Amino acid sequence: MLNSKQFVVTAEIGPMKGIDTQEIMEDAECIKNKVDAINVTDLQSSVMRLGSMAVCHLLADRGIDTIFQLTCRDRNRLALQSDLLSAWVLGIRNVLALTGDHPTLGDHPDAMPVFDLDSVSLLRTISRLNEGFDMAGNQLKGAPDFFPGAVVNPGADTEAAFEMQIIKMEKKIEAGARFFQTQGIFDLNLFEKFMKRVEGFKIPILGGIILLKSAGMARFMNKNVAGVFVPEPLIKEMEVTKDKVKTSTEIASHLIKGMKDLCRGVHIMAIGWEKKIPQVLAEAGL
Amino acid sequence: MIVTKKREFNELMENIKNYGSVFLLGCSECAALCGTGGEPEVKAMKETLESEGKEVTGTFVAKSGCQVLGTKVELKPYKDAVEKADCIIVMSCGAGTQTAVELYENKPVFPANDSLFLANMTRLKMFDERCSLCGKCILDKTGGICPVTRCAKGLVNGPCGGSRDGFCEVSKDTPCVWQLIYSRLIKLNQLDSLKKISQPKSKSGHPRRQIPEDMKSKKEPIKKA
Repeated sequence: MLNSKQFVVTAEIGPMKGIDTQEIMEDAECIKNKVDAINVTDLQSSVMRLGSMAVCHLLADRGIDTIFQLTCRDRNRLALQSDLLSAWVLGIRNVLALTGDHPTLGDHPDAMPVFDLDSVSLLRTISRLNEGFDMAGNQLKGAPDFFPGAVVNPGADTEAAFEMQIIKMEKKIEAGARFFQTQGIFDLNLFEKFMKRVEGFKIPILGGIILLKSAGMARFMNKNVAGVFVPEPLIKEMEVTKDKVKTSTEIASHLIKGMKDLCRGVHIMAIGWEKKIPQVLAEAGL
Repeated sequence: MIVTKKREFNELMENIKNYGSVFLLGCSECAALCGTGGEPEVKAMKETLESEGKEVTGTFVAKSGCQVLGTKVELKPYKDAVEKADCIIVMSCGAGTQTAVELYENKPVFPANDSLFLANMTRLKMFDERCSLCGKCILDKTGGICPVTRCAKGLVNGPCGGSRDGFCEVSKDTPCVWQLIYSRLIKLNQLDSLKKISQPKSKSGHPRRQIPEDMKSKKEPIKKA
């Protein structure tokens, strides 16, 4: 997909706490013909939930291309490698390697933070598995052929944080990342600057789109979510509007249109508003 | 140094509720600096225990409680006092407590402190964790500032995306260590050292031992259970 010239769209589904998959399956059905692949998050925000691998498998069975999000937070190198092999035999082909939020941010703050590997060494490990070897150099009986991706945060808020995002991005590419998804973007000028900066890496980047649900949510993210900055005019728009869904959809589709000339695609994080994604894409002309 | 924190007194009293007499052992190194096991603290503990009706048969502040042989020699003159006591309370770190355990195999030993971490003392009684004794130093690659210890996730290839305004996602009071590393490497004009991929750390098994090469062939002083 990313090899073609086509503008790629991915979206994200966050499994729930429990085993009632009806709602996320409905969400997936609703968007499956509109997006190229669906990310399934791995215990997002460090909250204990149904696992990414199981949900990816269920979606794969429905013919949906999935991106298995895999964090370093909860598994050591044995479990990470084993889960990767398990994912492959369950029909999962794309994997997004992430560090993961710290457990203290979630609902089991006393959990042991593992972080045996980091996102860079996890990518290197995926590449090694693809080559037919585990981290210890042992040969595999049958090798997977994952398409590994990674994340980058173009909105890192200090010069040091931004420069280190770029350095780490280069390391991730060296370790085997073949595409990137970004944190949510609300300022196209800043995003354009970022894209210019990483132009030389020649790697497909999908710009992150977060659907705003309210002015309060935007303020909350500005205060609490690293790398997300919603400019005041957009917050005002959400505040004064009589139809939050309409305004949110307009903002998102405007951002997507703006990204068409800047990057290879978009990654939509609807955070509960998955059923609104088709409307956003229609307005963006996709 | 090892930072220790005094445990709740009622926890200690619960531990020794069945014993009438105690011997108190402090330590003049780290615990003394932390105010948890030097002369004044041992004296205060003696008074408190006595006011609670316990008999204190003797007290001693070891030079270095973690030094098994040295402490054994130092404690020789206290043989009778220790023997008279129903149990021993150790006011040092967990290493000191286990020195006493090794020296007095028939005597119950209880810790008066919780052992926290290896620290740099930045000001009087202010302690920062900067080294976690991981076993394989990478300070040569990170501008002399340790991300294994000072990054909440122990990341060795650069920061996660979670820092805000240069502070850690876990604690708003803790600077992102990668920010510190970056600033220092810029000053030293050594930023390139961050561009090479660092291999995942080997997590060596516990418990660890360090024996001089020339001692390895000799009979090892291992006590059988």
